[in-house]
Amino acid sequence: MKKDLIVSLVLLAGIISLYLSLGAMDDPRAANFPKVIIIIMGILSALLLLQSLFLKQPKSFQGAGFPFGRFLICFFMIIVYFILMETLGFYLSAFLFFVLVTCILGSSELTARTAVMRVIVGFVFTGILFLLFNVLLAVQTPKGLLM
Amino acid sequence: MAEFLHYFPQALTFTNLLTLILGVIGGLVLGATPGLSPTMAVALLVPFTFHMDPATGLILLGAVYTATVAGGAISAILINIPGAPANIATLLDGHPMALQGKSQTALYYCFISSLVGGLFGMLVMILFTPPLAKIALKFGPSEMFWIAIFGISVMAGLSSGSILKGLLGGMFGLLISTIGYSPLLGSPRFVYHDVLTGGVAIVPALIGLFAIPQVFALVESLGSKLERPNFEPEKGILFKTIADNLKMVKSLSIGSIVGSIIGIIPGAGGQVAGLIAYDQAKKFSKNPESFGTGNPEGVAAAESANNAMVGPSLIPLLTLSIPGSPTAAVLLGGLLIHGLFPGPDLFISNASITYTFIASLVLAQIAMCVFGIILSRYSYMVMSVPNLFMIAAVTILAVYGTYSVQNSFDDVIVMFTLGTLMYIGRKFGFSPAPVVLGIILGPIAEDNFLKGKLIADTDVGVFSYFFTGSMNLIIILLCVGSIGYSIYGEIRAYRKAKEATA
Repeated sequence: MKKDLIVSLVLLAGIISLYLSLGAMDDPRAANFPKVIIIIMGILSALLLLQSLFLKQPKSFQGAGFPFGRFLICFFMIIVYFILMETLGFYLSAFLFFVLVTCILGSSELTARTAVMRVIVGFVFTGILFLLFNVLLAVQTPKGLLM
Repeated sequence: MAEFLHYFPQALTFTNLLTLILGVIGGLVLGATPGLSPTMAVALLVPFTFHMDPATGLILLGAVYTATVAGGAISAILINIPGAPANIATLLDGHPMALQGKSQTALYYCFISSLVGGLFGMLVMILFTPPLAKIALKFGPSEMFWIAIFGISVMAGLSSGSILKGLLGGMFGLLISTIGYSPLLGSPRFVYHDVLTGGVAIVPALIGLFAIPQVFALVESLGSKLERPNFEPEKGILFKTIADNLKMVKSLSIGSIVGSIIGIIPGAGGQVAGLIAYDQAKKFSKNPESFGTGNPEGVAAAESANNAMVGPSLIPLLTLSIPGSPTAAVLLGGLLIHGLFPGPDLFISNASITYTFIASLVLAQIAMCVFGIILSRYSYMVMSVPNLFMIAAVTILAVYGTYSVQNSFDDVIVMFTLGTLMYIGRKFGFSPAPVVLGIILGPIAEDNFLKGKLIADTDVGVFSYFFTGSMNLIIILLCVGSIGYSIYGEIRAYRKAKEATA
């Protein structure tokens, strides 16, 4: 189990560094409970390491290739959405995010008709959110350039 | 029962009834939508209830919880993909019925059976919850500490394929709960960045761990096509189906009883209930060979079981903080953000909210059946919603839901970071439920551990205080039994897999 070997080694490295950081705490008594958890995690990670080394797992189904490009596009679009939300406000950024995500991730099916459809759906979705949050629930949303 | 009847009218106020109906309809739609898990649906809703009256907020969460379990059967029957793990047994006979052109009949069987099982489960819940709460009244810090550990051990064993990874997830959740300032000493812990100063709140963690991995999973699945059978609404079959369904006394009884028993066992969940009830119904049937080929008795047994599980799964949750399923764990988060702490006090100081919530769950079962039958005609439309729209909508709701609790972008960053880590964790076989439960139960475990240690230091010593006493020993044995049972299950699965590949 190559995956378990990698994960147990990463966990052990993280656990050791966390354990060492406990010494830097202002009050050592505050470290008591986390210390117990970290020790248990260390034991469990060591067991996972042993299991990955000595227990041969039957070959399981391997999925199709991971769409790394699509994942990265989505990941960065979400981060840009967070940043824009502070300047553009919740509703405008939500509308732009909806339209851009559906158009970029679904670019293979993008035609003038589908693009218009996605803009309309994005507009209706944002409108429903506005009615729900501002009119019905009267809650605060991140404010920006427009609203 | 007297308290339940006393507070029942409070669930019938206009606001509460409207909330309940909207929750049920929303839950049915969310449950039917492939790619949206019921747990994620409830997690996304938790922050929106924050702005509501506690009883109304809990009614919304309870209604969605009830309806998503039944709604998950729609995609199980129509496209052979269970909307939730609880619906796995439903597809065994439900989908063959759909392939025979009886989609709507199968859906009617599903909702009527869910109602029968659900009401039976609620009766069990109403009868058993208050006595168990009285027992919990006798628990001290050591028992409460072990109860928190038991909750994590149960969830660790059931929600992931590996008990080691489940326990590691639970411990990771406990560790996350210690970020911020120590509750008793006020000293900072693991505050590596300003974002972490206030610790990790429940809502960002819930949303991040359940919604963000789901968004990325939807991104992965883009381009794949689902096979959908032709859905032709059948006319004039409702009353005949109701009559036929109610004649299935054996299947409905097996489903309701099995579901209720499994529901009470913390962590066992609807998946187990549905499969065991289906298996028992098949064994007791005069035509066991017809099961799996579109026998309505199979749908009735599976659906009555997974909805009978809903009420009893809340018994350990409301009395001991031990959720019966991952969705119940999220519901626990909903209780806590409204300042309601499970335990005996819930039935005394907050009796009005608690019993109104329980009453609303009974009404939710009835509304689920009525609206399920009405909406089943249009259910096919729900499954045609493109994943692209889901990705955008879930992300926007996750971001706003997180932000809205404290109007804080820091929470949004925490939510997204945890979600991305969980997505990577899922690739390595980790599951979000034990992590969430660790975060929720962490403060209970630490608080009671420290209180217990203070008592123990002045009295009998730490070992004697935590490891002796009949109740401590019973809960410790339950923890060991739960982990042992998971290990046994894993060994059996390992041997079977090895034999299959040999």
